[in-house]
Amino acid sequence: MKKLLLKPLTLIGFTIIAGVLLLALIAPLIAPYDPDAINVKAILLSPGAGHLMGTDGLGRDVFSRMLYGARISLMVGFVAVGIATIIGIILGAIAGFYRGWVDTVIMRIVDVMLSIPTFFLILAVIAFLTPSIWNIMIVIGLTSWMGVTRLVRAEFLSLRNREFVLAAQALGAKDARLIFTHLLPNSLTPIIVSSILGIASAVLVESGLSFLGLGVQAPQASWGNILTDGKEYIQFAWWLSLFPGLAILITVLGYNLLGDGLRDAYNPRSSQH
Amino acid sequence: MLSKQHQYGLKKFAFIAFISLLMPACGDSSSSNQANKQLDYTKTYPASSGGTLIDAMTGEPSGLIAMIAGESAASAIAGNIFNSLLKYDKNLDLTGELAQSWDVSTDQKTITFHLKPNLKWADNQPLTSDDVLFTWQKVTDEKTRTPYGSDFKLVTKAETPDANTFRVTYAAPYAPALDTWAGLHILPKHLLKDQDINTTAFARHPVGSHYYKLDSWKNGQYLKLTRNVNATQGQAKIDNLLSRIIPDKAAQFLELSADNIDSMSLNPIQYARIFPARPELNKKIALYRELGNSYTYLGFNLKRKPFDDIRVRQAINYAINKQEIIDGVLLGLGEPVASPYKPGTRWSNPTLKPYPYDPNKAKALLKEAGYEDHNGDGIVDKDGKPFSFEILTNQNKEREMTAVLIQRRLKDVGISANIRVLEWASFLGRFIKPKEFDVVVLGWSLSLDPDQYSIWHSSQQAPGQFNFISYNNPRVDKLLEAGRLELDPEKRMKIYHEFSKILLEDSPVVFLSAGYGLSAIHKRIKGISNPAPPAGIGYNTYEWNIPSAYARNEMSEH
Amino acid sequence: MVPLLIGISLISFFIMHLAPGDITTSEASFNPKASEESRQKLRELYSLDKPVIVQYGLWVKRMATLDFGTSFASHQRPVFWQTKDKDGNISLGMIQEALPITLLINVLSLILIIGVALPLGVISALKQNQLADRGITLFVFIGFAIPGFWLALMLMYWTGVQHAWLPISGLENMGHENMPWFSRTIDTLKHLVLPVFISGLTGLAGISLFVRNGMLEVLHQDYITTARSKGLNENRVIYGHALRNALLPLITIFGLSIPGLIGGSVIAESIFAIPGMGKLFYDAVLMRDFPVIMGILTIGSALTLIGNLLADVAYAWADPRVRRGVMQ
Repeated sequence: MKKLLLKPLTLIGFTIIAGVLLLALIAPLIAPYDPDAINVKAILLSPGAGHLMGTDGLGRDVFSRMLYGARISLMVGFVAVGIATIIGIILGAIAGFYRGWVDTVIMRIVDVMLSIPTFFLILAVIAFLTPSIWNIMIVIGLTSWMGVTRLVRAEFLSLRNREFVLAAQALGAKDARLIFTHLLPNSLTPIIVSSILGIASAVLVESGLSFLGLGVQAPQASWGNILTDGKEYIQFAWWLSLFPGLAILITVLGYNLLGDGLRDAYNPRSSQH
Repeated sequence: MLSKQHQYGLKKFAFIAFISLLMPACGDSSSSNQANKQLDYTKTYPASSGGTLIDAMTGEPSGLIAMIAGESAASAIAGNIFNSLLKYDKNLDLTGELAQSWDVSTDQKTITFHLKPNLKWADNQPLTSDDVLFTWQKVTDEKTRTPYGSDFKLVTKAETPDANTFRVTYAAPYAPALDTWAGLHILPKHLLKDQDINTTAFARHPVGSHYYKLDSWKNGQYLKLTRNVNATQGQAKIDNLLSRIIPDKAAQFLELSADNIDSMSLNPIQYARIFPARPELNKKIALYRELGNSYTYLGFNLKRKPFDDIRVRQAINYAINKQEIIDGVLLGLGEPVASPYKPGTRWSNPTLKPYPYDPNKAKALLKEAGYEDHNGDGIVDKDGKPFSFEILTNQNKEREMTAVLIQRRLKDVGISANIRVLEWASFLGRFIKPKEFDVVVLGWSLSLDPDQYSIWHSSQQAPGQFNFISYNNPRVDKLLEAGRLELDPEKRMKIYHEFSKILLEDSPVVFLSAGYGLSAIHKRIKGISNPAPPAGIGYNTYEWNIPSAYARNEMSEH
Repeated sequence: MVPLLIGISLISFFIMHLAPGDITTSEASFNPKASEESRQKLRELYSLDKPVIVQYGLWVKRMATLDFGTSFASHQRPVFWQTKDKDGNISLGMIQEALPITLLINVLSLILIIGVALPLGVISALKQNQLADRGITLFVFIGFAIPGFWLALMLMYWTGVQHAWLPISGLENMGHENMPWFSRTIDTLKHLVLPVFISGLTGLAGISLFVRNGMLEVLHQDYITTARSKGLNENRVIYGHALRNALLPLITIFGLSIPGLIGGSVIAESIFAIPGMGKLFYDAVLMRDFPVIMGILTIGSALTLIGNLLADVAYAWADPRVRRGVMQ
């Protein structure tokens, strides 16, 4: 852990994530305006006195919307990844532990899911269901569990023949105990890495969906939809594009740096020289 | 064999060499556009022929036979290729296009159109009443996949006494008839008579009779129209119309700024905020606005309580600040409406005014209807149930913003409303058709005929029909029926004025606003009427011209 | 493989029909001039009023003869390949037109990725934890984290409006067909610079990292130490041994990215006005154009399965251990 935090890039990643999370958590305390407060007299003001990041097309304060948007964007990330991880762990554990035909069936399903371009799938399903924040989270979750499944299965496959597992088995430990007490905890790191990277990806997917009109819907603010609202004024109301764009960039960067750093730390060989 | 390192070096070199090859080539066509930026567009030149007008569309037509294609991109382009019997002039009065005159019989059931002499199709074949008859047969044919047949099926007899006369007889006088004949593109019988109109290649290779003919259509990229020398209405001044398909509005705006397209439609913010702040854009691009024939409204599901109570509907009408919506959403670029008609036309009743913004009156009406804040939570309630509902609207920025403003004003009088934005097909299929909604924010885009039978008559409430709010008012029914039979414009006007008055009192919908159509057109295009006449700036596009001094450099044929 | 295809098509068909609305409930249909009974007629003509299982049966029957049908939304254009009608008019297939464009962009971006990501990954691995490595990693991560359409619009503004270096959107300039072949090629390439860059950016980031990590892993293997101790030239060690082995898993990665190849990016195509597979699919979904949706999903899955098969074969051939195993 200490070794991990000593790497400068990983440290930057960690700081970014902590910072964004903090801002999202205390948003209601520090937001200067109600993010939904419309003011038709203050439409599209540039950043300055009174509005740190300017105002949008309805006179709403962009800074406040960005803070609340952080909550939404991060929530989408966490919940979607949470769903994907839970599904992935369950399926991966079963496949890796029991092997045999269960394994084959599960991996076939994974193959089918992987052969349909993910964004297509998300797009199709969201267009059909009404795009609400819950549907978005569920759909992103349901289309990104494949990677976790493979990881967990691979870990289980390699762990199940280790001495401590064989020993536990010899002592008569039941399957469930083996899975939850021995195998899972040791597979945790790749799962965590995958989750962290998954959050980054979910934030980007949400902004892509907003561009297509299928993301978080008005009047709720998300970074994706603030960015999309501002895209036609990119030369003029640059603040509507710059701040959410930077926010997405920095947050996703942070998650990627942290995830990658964790992965490097876990894999001992790549950090040696 | 080169070692990997050399291979890598070679690859890098190739990549850089490749990129640098592009750079000088970049100079050519775009530098001439740079030169254009310095031109002074305020000079006047005599009208000249030639040039290409480039505009942008977000969608692509599915075909150019308007009765089948239906979407706005198709009718916009097909409107340059085909003629109808009649058209609307600059003051929105009906005048002849293919017909030079028409008579209505004394029993008002028969209309006789007299076609202009010597009309030709773009392929030089004569255009006669046979073509008109053929078109009518096609639009009323059960096998034709068109949704627009119903008006034309009211014709009981269609005849062609001679090559230049076309006569239709209706079972009963039908006042909207002339308007329908101004909207039907006449198709060539000689090219379509052996074709299945639903699948014919003609839809992508049309032959028409109007100012332009289709020159080329590159799927997904552009459609190019070029001058039709046999045009029935004369010769247009601009040689070519190029419509580029650019789905993203932000990309369109960039193309406009870079002089690559000549016209695009704008939203209020671009019109009122961005252009005024950009002098370099103003030097070469001019802005136009015109009042269209559409309005935005808040519709109640009249089958759901409490929207069946007129006091509740009126209360909500008083609670909404319509001027705020016009100022905030349209940035002032719209007009208030008190009736379902375009302000300034004869059908719009000038004595009617929209409900003023009066939250106190709203609260009083709510109280009368039994809604008061009994438990002090800020929301009015009745019988223990708080007054809360969902506002549905589709993915349209302006409608979303309107819904947000309405939500806030409703909150001020104690009504709690949630907003839900839906994708269009789901909206229609899941909510409108089965009438599963409380309140919607939508718009109507109307034809120029005042008949609104299909929207307000009580017989039009079946799933899929347009009276989806379930409005039922016998007085209104009678007026709508009478309006369809009355051909005299003065009497008709009185009928629809009365109709609008009742509608306003009843308040089955809250009329919100009629927005202006906003466009930006490059100053190289001369001849545009500003300010726009009632018909909009598009009524005389054939007179627009591009002086050769301003024409783009175009690749010439080899 | 065939049962897999059947499974995919069945699932896709049913998901599609779960959606509310169909082609007759599109934009044009809310025009008061269009009557419900005509729309009902339309529905019958398209067989949309029959039960879903019957519609699926009809579709399978056509598929057996490789007839993907005609589009609902685009005036009966054939979904897959061109058809000739009785007068000899050819209608080009929708996928036939969109696929080459998407393939071109994806292949070019693959070339870009290989050309840039490989060297970056190698340098990064060789100079691990030094400034070059940190710099490249940061740069690559930023590329990974940027929202695509944001970067696209900013680049379009900078290269197209502020300076007239590149075209802003579309595939060709006016008068393209009149240019000599050389200018035509340059014209198309100029239009593709930004779309290829934007499409390839994420892949670039991912692959550089992958190469870097792969190289690092391999560089610490025993056989590398052996090669060095044998006195081999360092370059030969790195490129002849390490890189070759590190690249093996890359083949699998490329195999897995085949769905992406024909997928096309909806966002990039929308912004750059490029009529590719992504836009085709998106529009078909919004219009509920079932034949097109099914066509794309089926062809997509088929190509993916073929791609995976090829990747497995290529890997087996490339990896001498597997080859030897097979031959024994």
